[in-house]
Amino acid sequence: MPSPLVRTKLYVPRARHVVVPRSRLTDHLTREWPPRLTLVAGPAGFGKTTLVAAWAGASGRPVAWVSLEESEQQPASFWTYVVTALDNAAPGVGAGVLPLLQAPHPPMESVLATLLNGLEALPDGVDLVLDDYHLADGPAIAGDVAFLVEHLPPQVHLVISTRADPALPLARLRARGELVEVRAADLRFTVEEATAYLNDVVGLDLDDPEIAMLEGRTEGWIAALQLAALSLQGRDDAAHFIAGFAGDDRYVVDYLVEEVLGRQPDAVRRFLLDTSILDRLSASLCDAVTGAGNGKAMLESLERSSLFVIPLDDSRQWYRYHHLFADVLRAHLLEERPGEVAGLHRRAAESYAVSAEPVPAVRHALAAGDVELAADVMERSVIGMLRRRDEATVRGWVDAIPDEVVHRRPVLAVGFIGALMSRGEFQTVPTRLDELEQVLADPPADRVVLEEHELARVPGAMETYRAALWLVAGDPAGTVAHADLAIARAAPGDDLTVAAASALSGLASWAGGDLESAHRAYSLAVKGLERAGNIADVLGCSITLGDLRVTQGRLGDAKRTYEDALRLAEAHETDGPLRGEADMLVGLSQIALERNEIAAATDDLERVAALGEGLGLPQNPYRWRVARARLREAQGDLTGAVDLLDEAERVYVGDFSPDVCPVAARRARVLVALGRTDDALDWARGRELTADDDLSYVREFEHLTLARILLHQKDADGTARAAAYGLLDRLRVAAEQGGRTGTLIEVLALQAPATGGGRGPHGLRRALDTLERALRLAEPEGYVRTFVGEGAPMADLLGALVRQDPSWRYPRRLLRAFEGATTGPRHQGLVDPLSARELDVLRLLATDLSGPAIAGELYLSLNTVRTHTKNVYAKLGVGGRRAAVTRARELGLL
Amino acid sequence: MNTAATDPDGSGFYEILLQGRLDARWAACFEGLTLTTGDGFTLLAGPVTDQAALHGLLHRLRDIGLPLVSVRQVGTDDEPRTPHHTDSTPGA
Repeated sequence: MPSPLVRTKLYVPRARHVVVPRSRLTDHLTREWPPRLTLVAGPAGFGKTTLVAAWAGASGRPVAWVSLEESEQQPASFWTYVVTALDNAAPGVGAGVLPLLQAPHPPMESVLATLLNGLEALPDGVDLVLDDYHLADGPAIAGDVAFLVEHLPPQVHLVISTRADPALPLARLRARGELVEVRAADLRFTVEEATAYLNDVVGLDLDDPEIAMLEGRTEGWIAALQLAALSLQGRDDAAHFIAGFAGDDRYVVDYLVEEVLGRQPDAVRRFLLDTSILDRLSASLCDAVTGAGNGKAMLESLERSSLFVIPLDDSRQWYRYHHLFADVLRAHLLEERPGEVAGLHRRAAESYAVSAEPVPAVRHALAAGDVELAADVMERSVIGMLRRRDEATVRGWVDAIPDEVVHRRPVLAVGFIGALMSRGEFQTVPTRLDELEQVLADPPADRVVLEEHELARVPGAMETYRAALWLVAGDPAGTVAHADLAIARAAPGDDLTVAAASALSGLASWAGGDLESAHRAYSLAVKGLERAGNIADVLGCSITLGDLRVTQGRLGDAKRTYEDALRLAEAHETDGPLRGEADMLVGLSQIALERNEIAAATDDLERVAALGEGLGLPQNPYRWRVARARLREAQGDLTGAVDLLDEAERVYVGDFSPDVCPVAARRARVLVALGRTDDALDWARGRELTADDDLSYVREFEHLTLARILLHQKDADGTARAAAYGLLDRLRVAAEQGGRTGTLIEVLALQAPATGGGRGPHGLRRALDTLERALRLAEPEGYVRTFVGEGAPMADLLGALVRQDPSWRYPRRLLRAFEGATTGPRHQGLVDPLSARELDVLRLLATDLSGPAIAGELYLSLNTVRTHTKNVYAKLGVGGRRAAVTRARELGLL
Repeated sequence: MNTAATDPDGSGFYEILLQGRLDARWAACFEGLTLTTGDGFTLLAGPVTDQAALHGLLHRLRDIGLPLVSVRQVGTDDEPRTPHHTDSTPGA
């Protein structure tokens, strides 16, 4: 992820106030049915950008413009700019994509699929312009851009301007008539266009032979024509100049730049050469490099005289030189004052360092050949860059600094280790850690530490990385041991190291199925993150804390976890909701859903939609879809649930956390409910699951899914059922031993109807005992869906349980929930339909329960129940309870 | 036998012919290469580390906007190719 986004790269260049109309080209580009791809290819200075900007300005369609630079060879950076530009042009289109791009390894398939879905849904078209594409083109992005072109919906067009043909299937597009090209031969200015430019725009008043000579000498190269025009302005001897120019065989730009430079006052000439080393120009940056204070005035006057500079924004803060001229200026600089170039770069580096822009600062320091300065900038910024998850940039730095320089700088060395770890490049890490250990134990005389307090963080950070190495190696005990060391060695107040080590320890315990230790460690991590003010990561860890509690069967605690995190986030809001609030709402919706509070669950998920996907953490796109799928399933829309789970799989983003509830397993469960047992079995085979597997917590959800499939399999001789029983019994023991009550309740709820089926009074007795055990565990936490989801056999058992013990309200409540579920969604025959919550109240109004008892049943306050009751009466057009029930029966609502 | 041509990394001595006469000052930008100019063309010659360096060099030439005429690998023991009309590029 590039950070921060350089806004000037998304600036749509204004067509200059006076340009030569080039209708032969813009007409060629403007079509009733624009092609998929428009390619404007030609050398530097051929007027590609001006042409595309003029065409885009007149097209009347929204334009998403990206001025690419070499940093966009990184896919995450490239796509972040592309998606942000599209989102600016068509708000909302990038909402679900940008969070995916923030993952350490963005899932490109999901990024493209989600982006294309968004584009597909656009009512109006949009033109995506990728300017200077040759700077970004390369194997890392070419395949994905080709995929994008191939799948663009008809209302979206891609325009590429480039100096080199892109690595895209151009021949195929050409053959299909889906490519329009403007190439160098087209871009060259004709004699007519040259006349329009030199005489009408610049006002030179040249005669035809003079123009023909200029056109011939420059071969219609507009950059050269512009320079020629500059050289001619204010000259009395135009004819003489043109003759001299035409009779010379030197590189056109050399000749003309020399002419133009030669006519500038020394101060301007010096300014141009000094600042030619900069990619972007601002007044203060120029002042820093030149050491003079005239940057602002100089840039403005250069722009007025159209001398080389191109504004990059509307507020005239940033400019750049035309690339071509910058190259020539640099050649002049290098020839005239070779000894000063390093100093200019060094001053640029220092200026960027002061304005906290480490990336260009490092680039200039390296160009100055000042490795120590580059290392200084890196050392001061590396921790912050890693925290902002800009690991890719830091990873690039690792190769730019010689090992012996890094070796002397423990703070930088540990930062580089962090970048390598986050990119999954572990090979050199153990050696680097050992070397660092030695430097700490026996500091060399030339050791460099810029900030002493950063050095204090190094030992803790090192152990954290060792813990991570052990985790990657699949050794939970080693992970926990090093995490404990990290916490012990963390500098006082280094909350982030404590948090990271705790989280690693928590992960190891979690993957090992020791949920209580995992919860303890994660709670410690959350406290550290909260002290460090890192609220987004507090919310990230709260997802895990909630998941752990749900697996432990502690729905109330899980709910409190999400609510507390949400309150914390709300307290830290400055402008608008914080990232991660959406994730907490998704968590809350899952608790509400399990408790059959359909209205509340719907409400939570709608709030997520209202917040927009951009406000979720990277995992939220898939978690939100899984939550909506479960809601649909609860409402009886099984195919809709499968569709959403398919989508969830596409946008799935993993992290270090064990994937304990894989989306594919959830999908297999819905397939079973749909009667597609064979498809579900295919999934199980693909995952190489068998009933005899050794059990481990990370695969518990999958094994439980397999048991469900086996129970539904057509099974003539009963082997599948027998296998399911055996597996369920082992799962039960494992869940009991691991304290995973949530899993245990589910296992028992599966076992009860299975063991009771048609086995006479003895079987029924056992089934009821099993169910009763499940209910005793589930009742305090308000579980409903786990039972209702088991369908008719469960309802029969519950009925038997109610008959056996009529005073136990919980089974009765579950039975009523069945009625609600089996009737499913339907047309209510009302102008203003009852909400899910009002339906809940209505169903209880039909019983003989009192108001407070209804409130108790629904976990609502009496006042809320009264409000719902009033609404129900109003919507049914009745005045009281009895009439409401009668009317509801007439309407088939009960 | 031309040993340079068999180097798998493409390291060796290269001659790059460009259309247009570049000023001598550009030599500073193409460190390690000699810049010879003739009637309307420029010859860059010298050792190139490997294919990556060669492509980087070609990109820089593209960005200057000089038309590329030819790229040729030559053995270091070969007679260096000389333009028909060498000239000393008079100081500007």
